[in-house]
Formats: sequence, structure tokens, C-alpha cells
Amino acid sequence: MVRSNEDEPAAWAAALDNDGDGFAAIFDLHRDRVFRHALRMTSNVHDAEDVTAATFLELWRRRSSVRVVDGSVLPWLLVTTTNLARNLVRGLRRYRALITTLPRSEGARSAEDVALDRIEEMRFATQVREALVTLSPSDAALITLTMFEHYSPGQAAAALGISDSAARTRLHRARTRMATALGAFSTAVGDGTTKEKSR
Amino acid sequence: MSTTEMDPVFTAALREVLAATVEDTAPVRRRWRWRLRAGVFFGLTLVGGGVALAAGVFSLPGAPIDTPLGNVVTATRTGTATIDLGPPPVGATDLSLSLTCLTVGTFDFPNGSSMSCDASDMNHQPPIDGPASEVVPLSPGVDSVTIETSASATWTLQAQYVNRVTTHWSVNASGQTYGVQNQNGTPDLMAVVVDQGKTQGYIEASELNCASGGDVKSLAQALAWDTQNRNISIPVYESDGTTVIGTFVLGDATGPNAKTVPLSSLSLGC
Repeated sequence: MVRSNEDEPAAWAAALDNDGDGFAAIFDLHRDRVFRHALRMTSNVHDAEDVTAATFLELWRRRSSVRVVDGSVLPWLLVTTTNLARNLVRGLRRYRALITTLPRSEGARSAEDVALDRIEEMRFATQVREALVTLSPSDAALITLTMFEHYSPGQAAAALGISDSAARTRLHRARTRMATALGAFSTAVGDGTTKEKSR
Repeated sequence: MSTTEMDPVFTAALREVLAATVEDTAPVRRRWRWRLRAGVFFGLTLVGGGVALAAGVFSLPGAPIDTPLGNVVTATRTGTATIDLGPPPVGATDLSLSLTCLTVGTFDFPNGSSMSCDASDMNHQPPIDGPASEVVPLSPGVDSVTIETSASATWTLQAQYVNRVTTHWSVNASGQTYGVQNQNGTPDLMAVVVDQGKTQGYIEASELNCASGGDVKSLAQALAWDTQNRNISIPVYESDGTTVIGTFVLGDATGPNAKTVPLSSLSLGC
């Protein structure tokens, strides 16, 4: 099992040699981060699990073109999670049949459970998601990596396969649009957003 | 069970499926994968006219030097097609590619990315953006590339093997690296040209990062990031990192109400 990021390059190399344990190790290492980001993007545990599954299946399908940043596939995973979650129907189409065969716990939590459990957080997540949808896929990915996952613009650029300077320019623009979109929500919901931001 | 954890039953099953999928995938001859970067089609929209990062200026420290090897392979096809590139010459490290869309269409690449050309792209002669150019590292077994598109879409691909050598950055008296960005990352001082190409100098990577909002880490800060009608300028230095010889402006605000403010006048926390 991969227990630290230092082990990831070796696990990824093994996975590329059709080593199932190597790929499972990558899954173990990153599944929580991917799931949490998917949850942020979907506000629904079931959908987030589906997106997580599709993200790792995509990691394998597109393994030869995955961009490894600083020895890690995580930035690529997060970008892919963003893209899949932006359009669940289209994003998961390829894997829907497989995912529906995966078992779940008895009495698995519903979206309502989550909404009741973390209603404030989820309301804000919904605003974020709707703001992200107003951006282009690549701009949404830039925002995801830099604002939510704290990657540098350079690392985000590497994950997206664009130049550092292009990433910075587009990030500048994307942040402006994001702020405009979130500002519109703030105006629409009044004080509620302010309270959530200060949590 | 926390809502920020996956269902353990689902997780275990997924893990098993993933491992089995990987084990069951028969190794195949490595196919060459490549993508055209969407970024190619985004010009840097920087105010001030002629302001641009100096990437690709070959005489600067850290710039790649590409030596063409062999012939340029040019092929024009309609619909999905595979272009045979022939075996790579000895010393080839990368492949220089240039793709032009000749009709409206969406062009899909083996890695799943795609490029779209719409009617507006077709209405300019010569095309505003020109071809999408890229230098991609070779992988073993590279000898062809397939472009997938609709039956009526026409495209031209030019490809040539190259030997790419990345030069080293220089270091100034203060110990700062300077030069152009390359595969090794970003130097402390990044080469730029300003004044419509008349001035070549360097900007501090940290100042660029700050001015472009790279240190904004929270939504609250993002909300405060009001860039409407505002551009931010940072100094352009000599390679010594201290002598100011110009100004680099970041932003795309234009019009009568647009203003440009120096980074030093802002409180962005960096």
C-alpha cells in the first residue's frame, strides 16, 4: 500500500505495467481527496461516489496521457473530477452500467441526509458549483486546483498542459468571473452568504 | 459514518474492480498520445500593446533549442485518418506538430481531448490564430497519429521530429535564476518583452504570482478580487533583479474607465 506521496511514482509506474495492486494503491492514496472534491461539486453523496468511481476509471483509460505533476496524478484526478461532475449525465455515461453494479451499504445515506447534516455547507457548495459551471471547463479546472486544492498556478498549468503564463492570465480572468458569479449569488441570497463565508 | 467519507462497501468494491480492470488489460504496443492545447488559441490578452512573455526567445537562458531532424511530413485529410510519420531519426527527442483546420469541425485526439473550429474561425483569411503548434515529447514506438473527426471535416497536419535541448537558466549576483520558463519550471526572474517588443527584461515570478492572484486562497479573497476595470502593473527589471527598466501590465481591462495600478499600491497579502 502506498502510505505517502513519496511512494506514488513507483506505484504509478507499477500500475502502468498492469499491476493491479499499484493502481489500487493510487486509489487508496487519493480517493478521499477526489471524493471530497466530488462532494463539493455535486452536494450529493451518491453522485459524488459515482463521480469518484468514474474519475479513477478514467485515470486508467487515459493513463498514457495523464499529466503527472510533481510526481503525482492527483491534480489530473481533480481536474477530471471537475469535468465529470459538471455534467453528470454525459460524464458518467461511459461507466454508468459498471458503476450501478457496485454494491452499497444498507441504508446508504441519501442526498436529504447530507442536506440536513450539513445544510449550510451544502448551500454554499451549490453556489460554488453553479459559479463554476459559468466558466469554461479549463477555467473551472484552474479555479479548482488553485483556490480549492491550493496548487500553485504553475502546477495547475502543468496539470492542464498549458503554459504557466497562459494559466496565470486565464486564472486572472477566471477569478474575476468566479467572483462576479458568486457576487450575484450573494446579492440574490442576501445575508445568508455572508454568514456561510465566515464559517 | 461521516458524510465526507465514501461508503466503505462501495469503496471496497470499486477498489476491487479497479485492480481487476488493470490486471485484465492486456499490454498493448504503446501508442503515441498527444493533445493540442486549448491554450494555443488563447492569445495573451494583456493591455499596453505588444506586451508578451518572452517564451520562445531562443537566445535567452533556459530556452529550448530545437534542431529539426528529417523531413516535414505534411498531410491533408478529410474525416478520421492516421498519418504515418516513419521511424524517428537517431537523436529525436520530440515531435513538432502543427494542425490547421480547413473546415468547421471538432477534431478528437487519442487522449480524448478535442479541438473545435467554428464558422468564425473560417471567416478570416489568413486565419487569426493560424495553426495550433506544439512540441511534444516522443514515446517509444511513436510512428503515427490518428485524428478523429466527422466525415466532412478537413484538416492539415505538419509534423517533424526534432532534437530538443533545454539550456540552463543564468544566475545573477543576488543568486536569482533568470531566463524563460521551461520543463524544469519557472526561474525567479521570468523573461518578458514590453514596449511593443522594444524592451526585453525580467519580471519577478513572485510578483507575477501575486499580481495574478496566485496567492488568493479563499473564496472570501476571491470575492474581494475586484478586477473589473482594473489592471495591475509590476516592474520589469534588468537581469540583476533591481534595475527597473519598464512596466508589465496584467489584466484585460480596457475602455475609458479602465485604470492600471501598481502592485505595490495594493494589499493582496503577498
